[in-house]
Amino acid sequence: MGVPAIELQAVDKSFRKNRVLRGTTFQVEAGCTFAFLGRNGAGKTAAIRMLMGLLSCDDGVIRVLGLDPQVDPIGVRSRVGYLAEDQTMYGWMRCEEILRFMAPFYATWDHQLALRYARDFEVPLQEKIKHLSKGQNVRLGLVLALAHRPELVILDDPALGLDSIMRKQFNRDLITHLQGEGRTVFYSFHLLYEVEPVADEVAILDQGRIVRQSETEALRSDVKQIVLSREAAVAVGETASVLQRREEGRELALVVDKAQVVIDHLRREGVEHRVVDLNLDEIFEAYVTGTNEAEPPEVAATQRIAGEA
Amino acid sequence: MILRIEKGSAVPISSQIFQQIAMLCASGRLKPGERLPSVRELARELAVNQNTILRVYERLVRDELLEMRHGQGTFVAAHADTTGLAAHRTRLIEELRQWASQGLALGLEAEGLHELMDEALRQLQSSATTEKTKKEVS
Repeated sequence: MGVPAIELQAVDKSFRKNRVLRGTTFQVEAGCTFAFLGRNGAGKTAAIRMLMGLLSCDDGVIRVLGLDPQVDPIGVRSRVGYLAEDQTMYGWMRCEEILRFMAPFYATWDHQLALRYARDFEVPLQEKIKHLSKGQNVRLGLVLALAHRPELVILDDPALGLDSIMRKQFNRDLITHLQGEGRTVFYSFHLLYEVEPVADEVAILDQGRIVRQSETEALRSDVKQIVLSREAAVAVGETASVLQRREEGRELALVVDKAQVVIDHLRREGVEHRVVDLNLDEIFEAYVTGTNEAEPPEVAATQRIAGEA
Repeated sequence: MILRIEKGSAVPISSQIFQQIAMLCASGRLKPGERLPSVRELARELAVNQNTILRVYERLVRDELLEMRHGQGTFVAAHADTTGLAAHRTRLIEELRQWASQGLALGLEAEGLHELMDEALRQLQSSATTEKTKKEVS
């Protein structure tokens, strides 16, 4: 393994009394397509701004392509393509002008590629930026982020302005141009069903902590819903890491991590139960609901249900 | 090869692709010796991660439905139709088992379940005959 593309170690950040990141730790291997998931306000944008050196951390270590973004923001910038969540650009420029304006800032700028992306993303080149719609604005930002062929691309919710056809086109470009060329993509996204076919790995950020990092497929096979009668729930006992529990009459629906352990256990005990496969949306929901401010997710994630049933 | 991916489904993307290719092999719509699209091509076509496609291909090779010829690409294996059928047998039994357990939970007994199966087959056959007559008429 070479240098990881992104590395955060025990990063803390507060805005006055509001702690947005709490000991956030994760690593993105080079060549990986990594989806960074979290609810609004979970701290995604703050973390991303730190990667770009736009925000300092209070504590911890941040490395982007082996560089410290606080010490060498220009070094990071030249090798990373970045799309901000609310990218603002000079409103008086025409789209075509900003492409030419940006080109000299990057040694590796590929103007043909920029024009091709502009066409694919239906960016009106002759239009002034202040007259663009929100969607067009995001797409222009994408063109600017990708045209210097960066080895790492950091995108803060690129889906925001794309309709479903363009999202598919964007996913295709991501797969052929970025994944296919072995580049690293780190992106936050709010549409989980779009993430699943594309991302190698996902991390879920909740209240400033990474509550789960996993290969996308592994997450799907590890987390399942188990439905059983309330009396039978005692049998689950200590085997389960319960992420979410829902009671419905005589039945109890538990979303558990490491589901296979629980299922094997229930089979051995001869407890009647139903196993339900979940989609990524439901898994995400199980992780980010039911944990509250006072309770660190380590505790919440391994909430024992013994004796409660 | 036409595949369809359902996003947001509870069935993982890789299983969707795996099952559809296995089905195409079993039904003979993909013939032994036929060349499949490359990992890159299929990934682009479906807008699915290349590693996912590669893993599916590898699993299909392990199950002897496909074979990878070095430097030439991926092909449907000889006897993939019969191997595919065997693989589907396992999956169908699994599905029937779930279906049967639902029936049992509703209070049906073995006989009742068989009746349901017969009824389903009858409906399939009659709709097939209607299709056929329609075709003959037109």
